[in-house]
Amino acid sequence: MSTMKNLFRAREMPVFLALVLVVAIAGIANPAFLSAAGAIDILLGVAIVAILAVGQTFVIVMRHIDLSVGSLIGFTSFLIGDLYAQGYGLWGGLAAALGVGLIVGAANGFLVAYLKLPSLVVTLGALYIVRGIFNDYAFGRTITAAMVPPEVAWIGLNRLGGIPYLFLIGLSLVIVSGLVMRRVRAARDLYAIGSNPAAAELAGIPVARRVFGAFVLNGAITGLAGAVMLGRFNAANANSGIALELIVIAACVVGGVTIAGGSGSVWGAFLGAILLQAITRTIGALGIPQFWQQAFNGGLIILAIAFDKYLNSRVKTTTIMGSHND
Amino acid sequence: MVLSSSAEGRPVLEMAHVAKSFGGVRALVDASLTLYAGEAHALLGENGAGKSTLLKTLAGVHKADAGDITLKGKAFVQGSTKDSIEQGIAVIYQEPSLFPDLTLAENVFIGRQLTSNGLVDWAAMERESRELFSRLGVTLDPHQKARGISIADQQIVEIAKALSTDASVIVMDEPTAALSSKEVERLFTVVRNLREQGSAVVFVSHRLDEVFALCDRMTVMRDGSTVGSALIPETSETEVVRLMVGREVSELFPKLPPKIGDVVLEVKNLSLEGQFSDISFEVRAGEIFALAGLVGSGRSEVIRAIFGIDRYDSGSVILNGNALPAGKPAASMAAGVALVPEDRRQQGLFMASSVARNVAVTLLKKLSSWILLRKKREEETAGQWAETLQLKFASLADPVERLSGGNQQKVVLSKWLATEPRVLIVDEPTRGIDVGTKSEVHRLLSQKAQQGMAVVMVSSELPEVLGMADRIFVMREGTHMGTLDRDEADPEKIITLATGGVVTR
Repeated sequence: MSTMKNLFRAREMPVFLALVLVVAIAGIANPAFLSAAGAIDILLGVAIVAILAVGQTFVIVMRHIDLSVGSLIGFTSFLIGDLYAQGYGLWGGLAAALGVGLIVGAANGFLVAYLKLPSLVVTLGALYIVRGIFNDYAFGRTITAAMVPPEVAWIGLNRLGGIPYLFLIGLSLVIVSGLVMRRVRAARDLYAIGSNPAAAELAGIPVARRVFGAFVLNGAITGLAGAVMLGRFNAANANSGIALELIVIAACVVGGVTIAGGSGSVWGAFLGAILLQAITRTIGALGIPQFWQQAFNGGLIILAIAFDKYLNSRVKTTTIMGSHND
Repeated sequence: MVLSSSAEGRPVLEMAHVAKSFGGVRALVDASLTLYAGEAHALLGENGAGKSTLLKTLAGVHKADAGDITLKGKAFVQGSTKDSIEQGIAVIYQEPSLFPDLTLAENVFIGRQLTSNGLVDWAAMERESRELFSRLGVTLDPHQKARGISIADQQIVEIAKALSTDASVIVMDEPTAALSSKEVERLFTVVRNLREQGSAVVFVSHRLDEVFALCDRMTVMRDGSTVGSALIPETSETEVVRLMVGREVSELFPKLPPKIGDVVLEVKNLSLEGQFSDISFEVRAGEIFALAGLVGSGRSEVIRAIFGIDRYDSGSVILNGNALPAGKPAASMAAGVALVPEDRRQQGLFMASSVARNVAVTLLKKLSSWILLRKKREEETAGQWAETLQLKFASLADPVERLSGGNQQKVVLSKWLATEPRVLIVDEPTRGIDVGTKSEVHRLLSQKAQQGMAVVMVSSELPEVLGMADRIFVMREGTHMGTLDRDEADPEKIITLATGGVVTR
């Protein structure tokens, strides 16, 4: 029973309800939206953002941010195809993607955790550096369907029980990370760091090590997610992944992962990703011009922040009034 | 005073001859503290005596430069908060250090969450913290988030945390400063229980009545050194005050004979709920008027209200017979009031800007022609002030953050003196600056007063107050406790008023 109560009190609940509302509106306006094909479309579109949102959640709950993920995933998706075409095989490409992800994550993490540089600036720099290296490496080349490892292409195309594999990969990452974020001590430290950085030091939490670790983990997830992106589009070029980091951060914020750190969950970020995707499709289904979609999503982000602010202020006023009773 | 040896058994903690410097500032010179199991031990001293530094050494925030620390017969491992916690030290800081987004249960066990099979066991943490809360005699919901709970409840959570680590030494740094009398009582009950269970509790407080009601023993620090330690029943408030003040008011401060003129500033029945109430005083031209009291007594809040940074609920501020509008710093400045804030890094300076820009910033109107700021004029004005104040810097174009604390303070002062105010309000004018610069600042204030400026000074340093002020207005917990003239003021009278006693004249 208390599980049910907690479920309804959870920060993720409003996001879920918004999602149901959006789907209902779209379904009434355009029944084709509710069809299996429509749903699969959403699930396919959501997989990449959902995976990156999981990694980003580890970073944002610490009151940090990682803007480099769009450049990084673009680069590794290109790399996996390119190395396969050069005969290094699928595993060679995946190993390289993981390696690049770890290096970028470690560089970000080192600068933020140990040199105490602001993550916004560090990862903004990384965004351009990785994109620059990527452009130089790609040098006008593109990865075509023939260069995509067949296993990757197969996973991008096929389904299990009607659900796309790509979505299932994202979902399993969410399930595992959700458990980790809730039940593993080191992950709980990330919340503490974001909630009150000074107190985290005083409580004996190894703050620098945790911040470094979270950036490395996000880099690794993003690097490997290059395979998912390659499977999804069956192609890659020097523009792959541009501006993706903004959609990822939007998904987190809409899903209740507060930019101020300390709260939010991977489930929230996951729902946020689905909600944004569903809105995009809904706008299509309602016949509203596509360019309104971005304005809608922007409004939603601001709404999410205002909602968090409202929740926090409500908590404060109740207790301030409660403490005047002496 | 000799360390009393009547306590039972071996001490749980012995800190002997601890020294610690930050840059050139010696925060601890020769500090010692001995704690026995099952005692509540008061650590006393004026602001800046080194209590916090000593306790932070114990907490693992600082590492001592010299001295021996022995905990339960073993050498104490210093320098990491984690090590300190693991060795049984729990510190409850003045600033709450809970995690607002985490539940109370997790706050209790943060960094050491209970696990089963390697996974965090939420049910066990909630069960145990509920048990701890009820042992402490409070009903708090372990499932609740820490955001927004009262300071008193935050302390209870911190104490529960200390209990859960089986801490042998529990340090409370001014725990009662923000509590109501009911909450203080509850805290005392908790401390007495802790003592009975064998913990050593270090209790830092400026309220001597509390110390005498609660503690078994006390240690007094002054200027970074321990100057005495005694059993509470064997000492008296007078004795403690004498130890705390100790030093003589030196001739460091060249106070010039004042030329007192007409009333310039009048404060009438100023009140702000929860901060201060019914504050009235007059300051005359040429007078240095000190607001004395302990940290948190409401002095800074009063001057912020006078200047217009904060609003006030009732009362009025009158300058030269005209009422100053409430809550308008710009109007106060235009009328001739200047405020030099206490926290100069945060409020007084643009740290990354040049010395010249900082000095001239209050004069932008005067120095501008049409809408462009005249850079040359800016540098000329700044140069004049730098000379008057004997500022030490490489170039006027240097960013202020590169200057020493003392020189930064002089830049703040020049910035405001450059506006030629009628009333200069200074909050802790010499905090954290070296002795040489201190007396220069004092000379300057004294000179300006003699030239007819009215100076309102907030200071926590008794020698400064006694050396500089013509009249001393003592506050405690937001109320006026008494005003002392220069001739009748002495350290004992001020401390007694500030800690809530009655002065016998």
